[in-house]
Amino acid sequence: MPIEVRSLTHIYHRGSTSEAVALKDVSFRIDNGEFVGLIGPTGSGKSTLIQHLNGLLKPTSGEVLVDGQNIWDKGMSLRKLRQRVGLVFQYAEQQVFEETVRQDIAFGPRNLGLSEREVMERVEEAARMVGLPADLLDRSPFELSGGQLRRVAIAGVAAMKPEVLILDEPAAGLDPRGRDGILSRIQEMHRGGMTVILVSHNMEDVARLCGRLLVLNKGELVADGTPREVFSRNEFVKKIGLRAPDVVNLMEKLRERGWNVRTDIVNVDEALKEILRELGKEAPVLS
Amino acid sequence: MMSSGVIMGQYYPASSPVHAMDPRAKILISVVFMVVLFVGNNFYAFAIMGAFAGLAIAASKVPVRLLIRGLRPILFIMAFTMVLHLFLTPGPAIFKIGSFTATWAGLIQGLFIGVRLVILIMFTSLLTLTTSPIELTDGLEDILKPFTRLGVPAHELAMMMTIALRFIPTLLEEAERIMKAQMARGADFESGNMVKRAKSLVPLLVPLFVSAFRRADDLAMAMEARCYRGGEGRTRMRQLRMAARDFVAFGLVIVIAALVIVVRIRFGPVVSRV
Ligand SMILES: Nc1ncnc2c1ncn2[C@@H]1O[C@H](COP(=O)(O)OP(=O)(O)O)[C@@H](O)[C@H]1O
Ligand SMILES: [Mg+2]
Repeated sequence: MPIEVRSLTHIYHRGSTSEAVALKDVSFRIDNGEFVGLIGPTGSGKSTLIQHLNGLLKPTSGEVLVDGQNIWDKGMSLRKLRQRVGLVFQYAEQQVFEETVRQDIAFGPRNLGLSEREVMERVEEAARMVGLPADLLDRSPFELSGGQLRRVAIAGVAAMKPEVLILDEPAAGLDPRGRDGILSRIQEMHRGGMTVILVSHNMEDVARLCGRLLVLNKGELVADGTPREVFSRNEFVKKIGLRAPDVVNLMEKLRERGWNVRTDIVNVDEALKEILRELGKEAPVLS
Repeated sequence: MMSSGVIMGQYYPASSPVHAMDPRAKILISVVFMVVLFVGNNFYAFAIMGAFAGLAIAASKVPVRLLIRGLRPILFIMAFTMVLHLFLTPGPAIFKIGSFTATWAGLIQGLFIGVRLVILIMFTSLLTLTTSPIELTDGLEDILKPFTRLGVPAHELAMMMTIALRFIPTLLEEAERIMKAQMARGADFESGNMVKRAKSLVPLLVPLFVSAFRRADDLAMAMEARCYRGGEGRTRMRQLRMAARDFVAFGLVIVIAALVIVVRIRFGPVVSRV
């Protein structure tokens, strides 16, 4: 289910004193099975953009097409769209409201009008997908840790079986283990066939996970390419207030000191290989 | 969606003589003005008060457009009371709808109430539009202070008001975010009958309360960490001082009040009762 955005502009509180242009003439297309990272400094319009993709916000001008259909055309059902394009908000654990984890995850599938048996099957499947132990399902969500609660919230959207899963900083505020856990679950869901759009401030994460990056700055789409393409423009990345992964900076420093290494490297394994090559050593056999 | 139209409690920053006035003077003047508005019982009184309100609005530099927009939320109540008066006041008939009779006296009475409401809302919104929430609560605290001996917790009331004003926008924002998050999970806040709609609010209200309580807890902690312990012995960073303009404005209101009383005695009520 491809998503296409054409000349999307969004202005908040149009015509009032607090008018704010959040998106300016943004266009791109995302195909089935992509894993896209959406990055940009705070206030660049990332959250605004993703809320357009499932019809929570209406464009001030421009259009959003899903499967080639403008989602704001007459006769299009926004509720059906929201089932196919799942959106996990930032700090999603704050949306949890039911008495048990199971009931909370079931909220989405129930709204789809599925049979009770199917709802429960989906709840359990979604809990497995996000790595929630089954014995937590009948506990109160308010007894859970932050990381577990975040997984509950993601499961709540995953249980609707969307074809596209959009996550707004799903790992923000979690400890390293929590963040790795959640990110590897998202990676698995992508391997299972979902299209994933990941908003993140962590450049290491997006460089490692995403096949493609969209870069927003002050409401404009300023770059669209593979992590390698984006981060090799290190000066530009710095200028808009982002920081390339540490390995990119490491390779540049080595090069400044006369090492003959490539600088278009975005992850640790590649960097290791390149450094060892330069040193004339074989890569150690990874155990 | 939520912020449209409601201007009560909104501040319009500008530099004007009205903005510069002492908040205590502004609050007292507003109170006196309201009382006088209800003492006035004919259109002469309203002409006098309307002129005063107009003067204040002109001096405040608040766009009239904004004040008129502030009337929108009460339009319905106004229309309702006017219609009620039109039909329920006894007197010579204008026309009849079924067993209801519209009367001339009712028309005048309805208009009278309508004008009173417009002046009331415009003038009181001027108070909040030209006084920042901080000034407003500071002023209120000072005005209530003489009543502490009677057990009125002046400082605490003012502090509660400050905090409430500070968090209203935050809570509205949060409500909107949670609502969207639930809509992303297929929640429907718009259709269905009353019961269904009331039920659909649970996924919104529970998270909202949870987060409000957590915020309250955090705020209390942060206040205590900075040694807040109520109003006793507390001094102010910004001291309030009355200036010449405050006394002039107050004098003007007293003159207006006197005029309205004279007009009341001289001309009597707008509709003489039979
Ligand atoms: N509900 C809103 N009302 C008004 N302005 C908003 C709202 N949400 C975001 N904005 C403004 O739009 C711009 C983009 O915000 P946002 O999409 O949240 O950026 P990001 O997610 O990249 O941090 C910011 O300038 C922000 O202040
Ligand atoms: Mg954001």
